[in-house]
Amino acid sequence: MPDLIAMGGLNTSLLIGLEALNVSQSALDATSNNIANSDTAGYTREVPQITENPETVSGNTVTGGGVSLNDLESVRDELLNLQIQQQTSAQSSADTESSALDQIQTYFPTSSSSSSGNDIASALSNFSSSLTQLSASPSSTTAQEGVISSGQDLAKAFNTAANGLTTVQSGMNTKVTQTVAQINSLTQQIAKLNGQLSQLTAAGQDGGTVEDQLDEDVQQLSKLTGISITQSSDGEVITTGNGTALVMGNKSYSLQTTTGSDGTQHVLDSNGNDITSTLQGGQLGGAIQIRDQVIPGYLTSLNTLASDFASAFNAAQAEGYDSNGNVGEDFFSVPSSGAAVGITVSITDPSEIAISSDGSAGSNGNVANLSAALTNELSSGETPSQTYSDLVYQVGDDASNASTQSTAIGQNITRLTDQQSAVSGVSIDEETTNLIRYQTAYEAAARIVSTIQQLGQVTINMVS
Amino acid sequence: MRVNPNMVPDILADMQQSQSAVNTALQQVATGKSVTVPSDNPAASAEMVQNTIETANVDQYTKNVTGVLSMVQTADSALGSVVTSLTKAVSLGTEGANGTTSASDLQSIAEEVQGILESVVSQANTSYQGSYLFGGTENSSAPYTASSSSSSGYTYNGNDNVNSVAVGDDMSIQVNLPGSQIFSSSGSDVLGSLSSLVSALQSGSTTDIESATAAVSTALNFVSQQQVFYSNTESQLDSQETNLQQETVNLTSQQNSLVGVDEAQAATELSQAETANSAAEAAAAKVLPNTLLNYLVPSQ
Repeated sequence: MPDLIAMGGLNTSLLIGLEALNVSQSALDATSNNIANSDTAGYTREVPQITENPETVSGNTVTGGGVSLNDLESVRDELLNLQIQQQTSAQSSADTESSALDQIQTYFPTSSSSSSGNDIASALSNFSSSLTQLSASPSSTTAQEGVISSGQDLAKAFNTAANGLTTVQSGMNTKVTQTVAQINSLTQQIAKLNGQLSQLTAAGQDGGTVEDQLDEDVQQLSKLTGISITQSSDGEVITTGNGTALVMGNKSYSLQTTTGSDGTQHVLDSNGNDITSTLQGGQLGGAIQIRDQVIPGYLTSLNTLASDFASAFNAAQAEGYDSNGNVGEDFFSVPSSGAAVGITVSITDPSEIAISSDGSAGSNGNVANLSAALTNELSSGETPSQTYSDLVYQVGDDASNASTQSTAIGQNITRLTDQQSAVSGVSIDEETTNLIRYQTAYEAAARIVSTIQQLGQVTINMVS
Repeated sequence: MRVNPNMVPDILADMQQSQSAVNTALQQVATGKSVTVPSDNPAASAEMVQNTIETANVDQYTKNVTGVLSMVQTADSALGSVVTSLTKAVSLGTEGANGTTSASDLQSIAEEVQGILESVVSQANTSYQGSYLFGGTENSSAPYTASSSSSSGYTYNGNDNVNSVAVGDDMSIQVNLPGSQIFSSSGSDVLGSLSSLVSALQSGSTTDIESATAAVSTALNFVSQQQVFYSNTESQLDSQETNLQQETVNLTSQQNSLVGVDEAQAATELSQAETANSAAEAAAAKVLPNTLLNYLVPSQ
């Protein structure tokens, strides 16, 4: 009997040793996988869940039951992930707006009196001084030609600014189409991963890699558009900010784009409803904001300015007489829509400038009226240059706000990512320490096995 | 409490930030401007629109003042010659009216006065850079041409209008008087009185010569009064030139305060930014390569 107990004890120890070897092996696997993925984007560190086995009670003796590995658990904080996604949407929107506004503001440079740029401020100042020169030299052909050419430069400056705005606008339009395509391919992938994850969860397993990938894809999606996430029994339900379904469990719902009556790309949900104006956040929200709100606002100001100024100047022309004694004809011609992009100088002959107020060639009497068109208030209650400086202020303020916002959100994201990384990131120091721990444990477990083996040999030799 | 084990993104962000501070400071030192795009300072950029236009205008106003001034001076000196000529004519008339001058002498005096009349007409037809100064706004052809139908022998082709030239915001200065007001005014007709004096001298009538000389004398006073307009205009232009110079200084200083940089401050900021950037790089180089592995001795 004592032998039997001894043999049983040796086998138990052998089994415990074997289990310890297995657990150390698995823990080493987890450690090496963590180290291997230490720089993988979206990777969440895995921690082996080790528990002790139930003890055996024999009479008064309680014997430990060894160890077993329950699971490798990914360490993640869902709340942090959610916050990061929201901030990412906001930042991506601000970034899109900021880079578009940076392009836009190159058409409205901060002028300096020494610059001879072709922006509207320089063109207005050249036009104004050419008229002032004409006041002193009304009969000089050079001065007259100066007015025509600086008038043409002013019209061109309006054209350039308006074309610049339209170019950025159509760039944003293309971005809408591209972003919608990216969103659709991501939501398909997310739905697939959602399906896999719910199967794993149903089987009681940790999401691990699948969940990492899912989180990474959702993170990418939040860069593209603002989303809202809820959990259901089938996995994550993802909708746009205003509730249009994108993913429900393992099903994805594609967005579509179609050319609207205004010529821009409109975004439709899977049922064909136009949701363009409700989309906010992300690249898509930023692009739509710039395309449909910001640029049309600037273009309206520019068009009103071009059209009002042209009318005022043409009215001043009509008050005087040109060098041939005729009543002044229109100097500028503007189309009824798209005044800024279409404004041109309609007269080419310097003799057609209405310089004279009495019909005689030497009079400069109407030059004062022409100059006054630059300094008198337009229908807006502001002078042309005030109206233009308002626009410059608006553009500068919008660009500066977008960039400030992006920086501020960026700091939030850095803080949140720090926290997320503190929870889920792989620390080489920690893994190295674990490596030593598990190596020692493995070596010790191996020593148990070899010791039991020697003891078994001793027992066999005793019997034989 | 577990800390973030991955410092790379934070360190990268810090280094980018300090690099961008260096770039900004460098740009400010290199360009001498603190504002190059509207987002740098929207309010200053908006004010610069006004400043740019105003600076260009003041520049052109100054050129107008210079150009107009030499035109007005030309007119002034023409009138000066006319005054001299008329003074001479008055003394010739007085000489002719003393009753002792012989008929042949009267004839030669009449010829001399006729010469003065022609010289005054030529002054009245003075042009500046191709434009006649005394034709009102009708300045492309000579204001006075010979005409047999006119009592004075000359007819006025100009009009009664004047030009004003812009030399400041809301400030324009009248730069001419029409010839009709100076030389052939109904009250004191310069050309007519000279022409009458010639006829009177030729006729030899002392009474006629006396009254014609008195008319020339009246005309002389009148022209002298008209000349005052031009000297007033000159002094107005001179003082406006001084105003414009002051305004240029003001606009330049406004421009500096809106978009310029303080050189010393910009240079200091650049060197601070460079130091901060080097520190961030040095810290990154020290921290990044370190892990526990550096200190573990590989087992034999």
